[in-house]
Amino acid sequence: MFRRRRSADDFAEEIKSHIELQADDLQCEGLSEEEACRRARVEFGSAQVAQERFYLRSRIVWFDNLLHDVKFAIRQLIRNPGFTCVAIVTLALGIAANTTIFSWINSTLLDPIPGIAHTSDMITIMRGERSEHPTPPFSYMDYADLRDNARSFAGLLAYHHDYMAITDSGKPERIYGTLVSSNYFEVLGLHPILGRTLASTARNERLGVAEAVLGYGLWKDHFGADPSIIGKTVHINLHPYTIVGVAPEGFQGCNGGLRSDLWIPLGMDSQIWGFDRPRHRDVFWLNVLGKLKPGVDHRRAEDELNSLMQGLVERFPDAHKGPNTISSDPLWRSPFNINVYLYGTLPVLFALALVLLLLACANLANLLLVRSVARRREFAIRLSIGANRWTLVLQLMVENALIALAGAGLALLLTKWTAHGLSAFLPLTTLPLTLNGRVDGTVLAAAIIISLLTAALSGLLPALRASRLALDPVSALKEEALNTSGGIHKSRLAGGLVVGQIALSLLLLVCAGLFARTLQRAEDSYPGFDPSHVFLASFDLKPMGYSRAQGIEFDKQMLVRLKSLPGVQSVTLGDFSPLSYTIHTDFIQPEGYVPARNESMEVDRGVVGPEYLGTVRTALLAGRDFTERDNAGAPRISIINKALADRYWPGQDPIGKRLQVAGDWTTVVGVAANGKYRRLVYDTAPLVLIPMFQSYRADQIVYVRVTGDPMAYASAVERTIHGLNADLPLFGETTLAANMRIGNAFERIAAAFAGSFGLLALILAAVGVYGVVAYATRQRTHEIGIRLALGAGKRDVFRQVLGRGLRFAGLGLLLGLIISFALTRYLRGMLYGVGAEDWLTFVIVAILLCAATLIACFVPARRAASIDPMQALRTE
Amino acid sequence: MPSQNSPDDRIALLQGTLDLLILRTLLLGACHGQGIARSIQRQSEEVFFVDHGSLYLALQRLEDKKWISAKWGVSENNRKARFYSLTPRGRRQLVEKTSEWQRLTRAMGLILAARPNSEQA
Repeated sequence: MFRRRRSADDFAEEIKSHIELQADDLQCEGLSEEEACRRARVEFGSAQVAQERFYLRSRIVWFDNLLHDVKFAIRQLIRNPGFTCVAIVTLALGIAANTTIFSWINSTLLDPIPGIAHTSDMITIMRGERSEHPTPPFSYMDYADLRDNARSFAGLLAYHHDYMAITDSGKPERIYGTLVSSNYFEVLGLHPILGRTLASTARNERLGVAEAVLGYGLWKDHFGADPSIIGKTVHINLHPYTIVGVAPEGFQGCNGGLRSDLWIPLGMDSQIWGFDRPRHRDVFWLNVLGKLKPGVDHRRAEDELNSLMQGLVERFPDAHKGPNTISSDPLWRSPFNINVYLYGTLPVLFALALVLLLLACANLANLLLVRSVARRREFAIRLSIGANRWTLVLQLMVENALIALAGAGLALLLTKWTAHGLSAFLPLTTLPLTLNGRVDGTVLAAAIIISLLTAALSGLLPALRASRLALDPVSALKEEALNTSGGIHKSRLAGGLVVGQIALSLLLLVCAGLFARTLQRAEDSYPGFDPSHVFLASFDLKPMGYSRAQGIEFDKQMLVRLKSLPGVQSVTLGDFSPLSYTIHTDFIQPEGYVPARNESMEVDRGVVGPEYLGTVRTALLAGRDFTERDNAGAPRISIINKALADRYWPGQDPIGKRLQVAGDWTTVVGVAANGKYRRLVYDTAPLVLIPMFQSYRADQIVYVRVTGDPMAYASAVERTIHGLNADLPLFGETTLAANMRIGNAFERIAAAFAGSFGLLALILAAVGVYGVVAYATRQRTHEIGIRLALGAGKRDVFRQVLGRGLRFAGLGLLLGLIISFALTRYLRGMLYGVGAEDWLTFVIVAILLCAATLIACFVPARRAASIDPMQALRTE
Repeated sequence: MPSQNSPDDRIALLQGTLDLLILRTLLLGACHGQGIARSIQRQSEEVFFVDHGSLYLALQRLEDKKWISAKWGVSENNRKARFYSLTPRGRRQLVEKTSEWQRLTRAMGLILAARPNSEQA
């Protein structure tokens, strides 16, 4: 709105001319020249003020001031590099802890379907008992009925994912593919970057058309990002599919944490896996995700689905014997994706990171207090030449903001590296896990907001304290000249901060201790098998074109050949490996047991080869292990664990009892000791094992128990298997011990992060105590000198300084214990084998913190005791 | 001493009125700041007191709004001075503001001249 801006000089000129003109007038009225000039000047008032007002209105003043403040602050910070570095590093550590955890939250809980921006109106739908590891809850026919009748949804999609293989060449390439309902892409609102999505007609969905949409990664890696890929053919599990589209980069299916490589219609189930599940109402294999209509509450949608489901249960009671209650979850805590394990852990870690940041703030606040005392003269001078209190506070806050922003910058550099740390906790398994943090705009914004809050939090009190001088700058100057000590207020505030720091670090250390003990308890707990000396390898015979009989023949020969390798003790097969999220479930019906109405009869189920129990060394409590003779021609049998026997046949001998597993009646031939199959921290659950050669799975894991290092046998095992079929790809070659580390990944994440936060907290608290005690001692050098001169012993001085530090420690510990006792109960869900008020943890942590405080006080106490009284008095 | 009211009798200009007075003064021809101040003071029979700081601020404001324009010139007694003159846009504003002001003063007059009711005789 301003045109060419008038210069201040031009304005000054105008005022000068005004005064001259006025003087001329007055002279005309008869005054002397001198008097006229004087009167004109007086009448005009302060030309200075007028000029200032002109200046003020002609620019954005606050911006000018801010710029000036920033320049000044940078000069101040550069003049004091020691302080600046310590402050920036302290804050950077605190902020990095937060941005790291936030980067994970950002890419998991806040971004449950990568590649789809808007997911807040989507819910996952669960039928039956809630659990952390639900099996897909819907049959195709139930899903289709719900989808066609529910009014609350803009769309309900269904999918089922599993391993497949691309069989274009002789060597199959294993991928993870998803069968999807015909509205899948439409509901997600996903547009392919090439071609189209799957043709969406009901017929296609149920019967299937051989079309595939490729994932971006697969398109790039396997097809060399071929731009003319559309219309070409890809063979999946030996069947030809026409490629109709390529999904955009980043999209990996809607099962957060697991990567899907391609998508084909639900109806292709029979071709890919030979099941033909869409024709059944009582085969539950689909995960269902709904997009709510605008304005529809998810509770209302849940109610509607429940009443629809109730109708289905009444019409088809035989297909719905278990619990049928429908519940829904927003995606951030969906039980169907990895968030189910993270939504409890990550927010707790974020809270701990915030506590750490609070600690860093307290440290910085203390540094600032010390610094503001050192800068009293500067402040006093600025105040006495006309700065007001608020400009001083603003100036200090600008300095803090600069420190915090520098800290945030450093923190973001750290975060770029730590964000990928999440995947480091997950061992490489055959699961297509894609769990990682990343630094993006949201994280950047969070870092800036966090750092500015930090600046305000740590800087406001010291700045206000410093600006108190404004009330009496003269005496401040005088005081400074007399060089008296820092003032009682300062030390009380600093003392309070130190007490707070000790209390907060106690809290962090207690959490760290509890998580560490949880991890230790979990790792010490007996999993029910012996994981050492077992080599694992996976393969899939289906894409090789093996029939069931050929597969069993292959397996038998492989077992014999592997067993004859030198150093191999025993060999078996399984469709899962324990503690790696690979075990499946099935519905059972124990003989003579009458389930309560709507009781879930779903239990963990493993399909295993001969000598399974012997190979993993799970104790056999009664009966026998599986053998090679337990094949399709022999009577159907099963082995159960003790938990299953106790639950369904309490007080009875289970051997010889009949047990229906997935619709087939079996005879129980063995009872195995209890073990852990999902996570170490879970309670023992019922388990049933059925023989591989009676219930064949082409997708297998071979277990080889050896003497010595299992990985040393990798090449021998590979050679043996390739001797049977040179083209069969082996993957997931690992040891049982390494493979099961994923089973406590979340405990290790919690322990590692809480532990490092605890350690940082300990260091920050020790540095804080040291800083305050050392500073107070230096301030009192004069006084100590006098006391020494008057005959106080060195021991007294030492004890007094130490005592001061210990008083902080005592108060801090007390406060910290109270806070911890009040808060640790919220961790209970994440703990295992240790109570939230575990006294041992509390005591150890308190002793640790006490020791750290003592050491921090020791140095300044020694220095105080060694003061030479003469020198102390002279220098003052 | 020239006829001048004592400071107590002078009235500080109401917010916004200064702009109007400046425009009115400039209707008679280009004038410099001191001349405008003198003219307002004289014409109001020394009732109005023009704060010079405010005057120059107001001149600057009017210039920014392009109601007046300014250029350096020489005064009748040969002093260098910045002369302000009315732009066509300023002239329109003056007409508008004047009628607005007249309505305001008439309304004020009506209220102030009305006979008080019995409550406070």
